[in-house]
Amino acid sequence: MNGTNFTDLALLLPELILVGMALALILSAHRIRTAPLATAGTVFAAVAAAFVSYWLVSADPKIGFGGMVTLDGYSQFFKILIAAALAVTALLSERQIRAERVRPAEYHALLLLAATGMMFAASASDLLTLYLSLELTTLCSYILVGITVEKPKSNEAAIKYFLLGSFASALLLYGIALVYGVTGTTDFAAINSAISENGLGSNKILLAAIGLLVAGLAFKIAAFPFHAWAPDAYQGASAPVAAFLATASKVAGVAAVGRVCLVAFGPEAHVLSVVLAGLAILSIIVGSIVALSQTNMKRLLAYSSITHAGYALLGFVAATSQSGTSDGTAATMAYVFLYVFMTLGAFGVVIALGQRGENLSGYEGLAVQRPAIAALMLLFLLSLTGIPPTAGFVAKFVVIWSVLRTGHLALAVLAVVCSVISAFVYLRVVVFMYMKEPSEPVPSRCPWAVSVALAVAALVTVIGGIFPGSLMSWVDKLIESFNL
Amino acid sequence: MTNFPLLTVIAFLPLVGAVLVQLLGRGRLPRWIALATTLVTLAVSIPLYVGFDKGSSELQFVESASWIPAWNIAYKMGVDGISLPFIFLTAVLTILCVGVSWTAIATRERDFYASLLVAETAMIGLFAAANLFLFFVFWELMVVPVFLLIGVWGGPSRVYAAVKFLLFTLAGSVFMLLAMIALYSEFGTLDFNELAGETIGPTFQAWLFVAFLAAFAVKVPMFPVHTWLPDAHTEAPTAGSVILAGILLKMGAYGLLRVSLPILPDAVQLFLVPMLVISVVAIVYGAYVTLAQTDVKRLIAYSSVSHMGFVTLGIFTLDQGGVEGAVLQMFNHGIISAALFLCVGMIYERTHTRQIEDYGGVWKLAPVYSIFLALFCLASAGFPGLNSFIGELLIIGGAFKTQFWLGTMAIWGVALGTTYLVWLYYRVVMGEMNSGLAGLKLELNTREIATLAPLAFLAVCLGLQPECVLSYLHETVHALLTAGATP
Repeated sequence: MNGTNFTDLALLLPELILVGMALALILSAHRIRTAPLATAGTVFAAVAAAFVSYWLVSADPKIGFGGMVTLDGYSQFFKILIAAALAVTALLSERQIRAERVRPAEYHALLLLAATGMMFAASASDLLTLYLSLELTTLCSYILVGITVEKPKSNEAAIKYFLLGSFASALLLYGIALVYGVTGTTDFAAINSAISENGLGSNKILLAAIGLLVAGLAFKIAAFPFHAWAPDAYQGASAPVAAFLATASKVAGVAAVGRVCLVAFGPEAHVLSVVLAGLAILSIIVGSIVALSQTNMKRLLAYSSITHAGYALLGFVAATSQSGTSDGTAATMAYVFLYVFMTLGAFGVVIALGQRGENLSGYEGLAVQRPAIAALMLLFLLSLTGIPPTAGFVAKFVVIWSVLRTGHLALAVLAVVCSVISAFVYLRVVVFMYMKEPSEPVPSRCPWAVSVALAVAALVTVIGGIFPGSLMSWVDKLIESFNL
Repeated sequence: MTNFPLLTVIAFLPLVGAVLVQLLGRGRLPRWIALATTLVTLAVSIPLYVGFDKGSSELQFVESASWIPAWNIAYKMGVDGISLPFIFLTAVLTILCVGVSWTAIATRERDFYASLLVAETAMIGLFAAANLFLFFVFWELMVVPVFLLIGVWGGPSRVYAAVKFLLFTLAGSVFMLLAMIALYSEFGTLDFNELAGETIGPTFQAWLFVAFLAAFAVKVPMFPVHTWLPDAHTEAPTAGSVILAGILLKMGAYGLLRVSLPILPDAVQLFLVPMLVISVVAIVYGAYVTLAQTDVKRLIAYSSVSHMGFVTLGIFTLDQGGVEGAVLQMFNHGIISAALFLCVGMIYERTHTRQIEDYGGVWKLAPVYSIFLALFCLASAGFPGLNSFIGELLIIGGAFKTQFWLGTMAIWGVALGTTYLVWLYYRVVMGEMNSGLAGLKLELNTREIATLAPLAFLAVCLGLQPECVLSYLHETVHALLTAGATP
């Protein structure tokens, strides 16, 4: 641990803000009896962290704590995105906290700590930092999934998630141990040079280690065949927690996959491109087909998130199959950015409808009863389908462009064909909303915080779809300082 | 006024109208806002037809603005002789859609008129788009409002029809998306003119042609993928049928003219024979299936398959006359099938049955209606002096120039067309009065006559003076055939 000094702490300012707010909430937990104060604190911390991250971006990457964390455009991008997802989730939580009598300070502190772990995962440039940060995230997530202690479903979901999650963590740790055994280091850059300098390219143990690492990370982003926990966890958890898992948690996983595959195992890119292509296309196929038969909205969105994890990975497939170009990575970044907001929006509608939002049948006749909410849901579903001029189309366009440019024609064809299956999944909800008669009483008005969150999500979904130019140039600019 | 973004205004006025309908739509207001919007849109588009230079094959009224600089994709609109007639057709038909829905749509008017107006934006935008990206955006934007129009305000099995329409269309258009991205990653541009200037390898062209065809063939619809059409047209509310038959079916053929012919000329040569065969099959098979129908709306829907077969036949003759005939026939079919659906819709509103056997002797109750229906049936059958005659004549002329047997089959199709239309008219309007119709007030009211009159006027006017449309086409079609695919 050489080169560590006090000024390195400045690099972690966004994380420090979140941790500070979490500690403040925990210390004053007994004073905070109503949700709005805690929500305000979380939103404030998240926005502050996002701005600080934006401000910290510089042309040349900074390495801190002796190589444990890297601050480059890539990590800053993901930190901003995670902070944004955190803020929107905090707003969305308003209703559930009140309805399910969750202690607001604890809940928000856990959200903040989970987000802190995610931010670390985005900037981790050492396998140990990565492991610790992912553990911090998942530990908080287990508790968040089970936080409605009076609900058996929630407890069951938490236990399932915990068991499978520990299994995945074990895989990850095992992989790290093997990598250390082969290369003698856990630092990404050092692993990279050790592989190329010592000619470890076809080392069997290293390949096994890569397999274990990818499996562990695939679990975090819920890619097939490591997706089984997601539908149960999402269904059992309260909707805002599910939204948080589907967005921020997935984004952190994607960030980690990217850095591990492109930086640490750069010399093994040809192997990784095949592995990632397999994960991506199977996630897309399985996610879209299984979603066809879902009748619970949170399960449906869980399978949808599995499909989208597959689409997001397509960018990394392109990046690993043609090393030296940043287009594939940029495609994944743009994809997850737009995905986060449309998914938060869809979950936001589920939350806004309260109990009615849980089941597909609850959406019957929504367009008659609450036209504005139905229109918003239509927007988010069209975006998830990838129909222009919504953000989802732009996202799909960039990832398919990236795989087509690197010559993966079959992958591109399968991806677009599956998007027709997904279209059926999402439009089934539209059929329920617009083409059936209402069967349940009009849902009550949602809290203004949820409305604000929905407005933010809708705005990004529309603007991202019509004017994607600035997002694309921003991503391109950030990726220039990606510490490859 | 030189820099006035006329096309943008025409394309997005309906969208503004849709927003107004949603915001202000209380009581009877939505239909008035919709009517005003569609009328203003038509009025604003008049300078296009007047100011268009028929002597030039270049894109006119071009507007270009930077859109996604990171991808070198611009917002570019422009019209040539082929797209101009369809902007006019869209603007006219949407007004009539509002007219026919005036009392027929009683539930959720706000959403209905908003969907209709969004569809108009998508249609006009599609015909005015000057690059493939914009074309695709409007192409897909069209799907959503039509899906809602069919699924919410349609007949008994509307949901099935709407979902079928949507899945067929999306399944086709994802291949267009793929082809578009492939073109883009190869040449870094999606501008129609620039793409036409690129040299594309023959194998690559063949793949692209197939991918684009997947999208266009579904919309036309060409022979094996036409099965969504009867369901969608039959279940849709009248306004939906009019939009579908009048404009949406033209989008596919327009795509062939805008993308396949100029950008992929070698592939067009390669697939020429299969395309011609499919077209002829659609004409003859479509006509026979039409003969067997017992549901008025379904009958007209199937006749569209046959008539659109003429259009694709004309396009793939690659003959000046044949292609001009095809475009004219697209325009004519837009008028006539819309008119026929309007006629059926108006009488359905009173009788609530679409079965032919429930009609008979309608002329005793509704002479004016019977005259309109006679006019449109004759026009659809290609009666000389009415509009379809010239279009079919040009197409068949082109077909004879290409292959003798193509022309023969096409004439067979015309003969069958006359049969089913005259037989339909005979069963519905003439003969003894069906007792089930007794006591119903079938005659058209002033609003409905006003809705049908413009189409009757156009049918007669274009029958006597087809140059009204053809004069726009000569130069554009000539340039299209000399620059790109030649037989």
